[in-house]
Amino acid sequence: MAFIEIKNVSKYFGKTVAVKDFSLEVEKGELVSFLGPSGCGKTTTLRMVAGFEVPSEGQIIIDGKDMTFTPPNQRPVGMVFQAYALFPNMTVAGNIGFGLKIAKKPKEEIEQRVKEMLALIHMSGFENRYPHQLSGGQQQRVALARALAMHPQVLLLDEPLSALDAKIRVSLRAEIRSIQQELGITTIYVTHDQEEALSISDRVVVMNNARIEQIGTPFQIYNFPQTEFVAQFVGTLNAVLAEIVDVKEGLLRFDGQQVHTADKLEGYRNGDKIMVAIRPERLSLVSEGRKANVLKGTIKNITFLGSIVRIQVKLGENVFSIDTFNNPYLTLPKVGDPTEITCSKEAVLVLQQQPA
Amino acid sequence: MKRVNIFAWFIFIIGVIYFFLPLFSTFEFSLRMKKGVYSFEAYRVAFQDPKFYYNFGSSILWASLTIVFSLLLVVPTAYWVHWRLPKARPIVEFFTLMPFVTPAVVLTFGLIRLYGKPPLVLTPTPIPMIAGYIVLSLPYMFRSVDAGLRAIDIRTLTEAALSLGAGWGTIITQVIFPNIRVAILSGVFLTFAIVMGEFVFASLLGWPAFATYLEEIESMRPYTPQALTLVSFGITWIMMILIQWLGRGAPGAGEAAVGH
Repeated sequence: MAFIEIKNVSKYFGKTVAVKDFSLEVEKGELVSFLGPSGCGKTTTLRMVAGFEVPSEGQIIIDGKDMTFTPPNQRPVGMVFQAYALFPNMTVAGNIGFGLKIAKKPKEEIEQRVKEMLALIHMSGFENRYPHQLSGGQQQRVALARALAMHPQVLLLDEPLSALDAKIRVSLRAEIRSIQQELGITTIYVTHDQEEALSISDRVVVMNNARIEQIGTPFQIYNFPQTEFVAQFVGTLNAVLAEIVDVKEGLLRFDGQQVHTADKLEGYRNGDKIMVAIRPERLSLVSEGRKANVLKGTIKNITFLGSIVRIQVKLGENVFSIDTFNNPYLTLPKVGDPTEITCSKEAVLVLQQQPA
Repeated sequence: MKRVNIFAWFIFIIGVIYFFLPLFSTFEFSLRMKKGVYSFEAYRVAFQDPKFYYNFGSSILWASLTIVFSLLLVVPTAYWVHWRLPKARPIVEFFTLMPFVTPAVVLTFGLIRLYGKPPLVLTPTPIPMIAGYIVLSLPYMFRSVDAGLRAIDIRTLTEAALSLGAGWGTIITQVIFPNIRVAILSGVFLTFAIVMGEFVFASLLGWPAFATYLEEIESMRPYTPQALTLVSFGITWIMMILIQWLGRGAPGAGEAAVGH
């Protein structure tokens, strides 16, 4: 049995559907991210697990116990908020020890636990500081320590890094992951940042319009998106509406040119229109002699992005992006030059869609 | 630039004169009890009168009771409105403005008519008067507390406390109250000042109070009320200084963040 079971949960605010038919099982010690754009229902789902919202339908089970209607202060969960939510009137030690004080733990135990937590977040010596004397990154680490001090069975993080600058975000997310793995705590992490979700999660739940689009490992989500939304939302993507020329051969046509896909086209007929996608890093400019899966176009734009160079190629109606690793000896074409691009047939992904 | 400074000083001096001249005149008058010389005779007479202590003490008692019950009513209500019913805030605000449109005399007669006869006879007790004071101080108390609550993230702090196992009592007393301390103190001070100077309720309901005592002795001793008015003013100032002193360590003040 999974440690957290979210069974067919829906949440309505009046006529607005915030979450619809959400089902997920989270194993003990797993870190699962809810990823999606603003308003997709990811935070509402997290808040239902925390107990701040009551599901309109469905059930939430934690460690075999039905927690659907259990008040938040009686759930075995710790939560970290986007806005830190440290108590301004309390010191760092007061904040971390707050839950333990509520639980009427002995003073010595509280002091010991506060020390352990501060060591865990590399902030020993900050006991007597007040939240306003800390930076955003430090405040969020204290918030994490405060949530972990209670030894909760589940850790919930609601966009914990959104308010921080880019560099601290990257270092803190690695710290969160490392602490989570060290403690083996079952964690749900809400974010709208796909890089964040892919880099720290065991599994990612991609949400859109109150529903789950896809659940999978970061590798599966990125490399094998099942829906157009997932493909578009996670990473950069060249998506195009193609016509099936030959179902058996996996031959597709768009912009008057033909490519092969390795994906099976079961259920489709010749002439059907389907959405296909190719990641920019799986495309390359044609080297001499290549014949298969070659598309002709003209160079539209070249953008230098540091470690990679993004080349945009116009193929009739559509513009495709190609990512190539930067190196000082790279010979780049000029804008307006005719060119040919190519990819393997495995790189041409057919996105889940009903035959048109 | 210099002209602006001179103009600012001019306005400031006018303000000071406007504020202090009546006080100075009252003070000067209070010293004239003995013919031909300035003395503190009026103050001596006032402080020797046991009725002064009785009435002043009664007003302090009424003010304290009003503050306690007002806080018990306003803080949880304002908190709940912020936390769960933000759309109801304008309605609550509207009700708190009632004393501005309902004169105290009307309110007192209403209380006498309603609670002066069965089934619920409360006029022999100070309850209707305290209730009236609470209503009278509502706009000040509610607005002070409301401003304090708006300055902090009530929702997230409450949820954080809940997720750490805190109950409602703990949240109100250990998380919300300390973070709106200065706002509460402002409300407390205003309520205290209103009750100490309130005349209508105590007079019509027949309870001892500082304001009714002042009115009573005014007809008999012309200098003592002036002396007591200044004493009352001094108490108000001491309270203001106390608020400043108690609020000096309020959250949000102090050093800036360091490190990352």
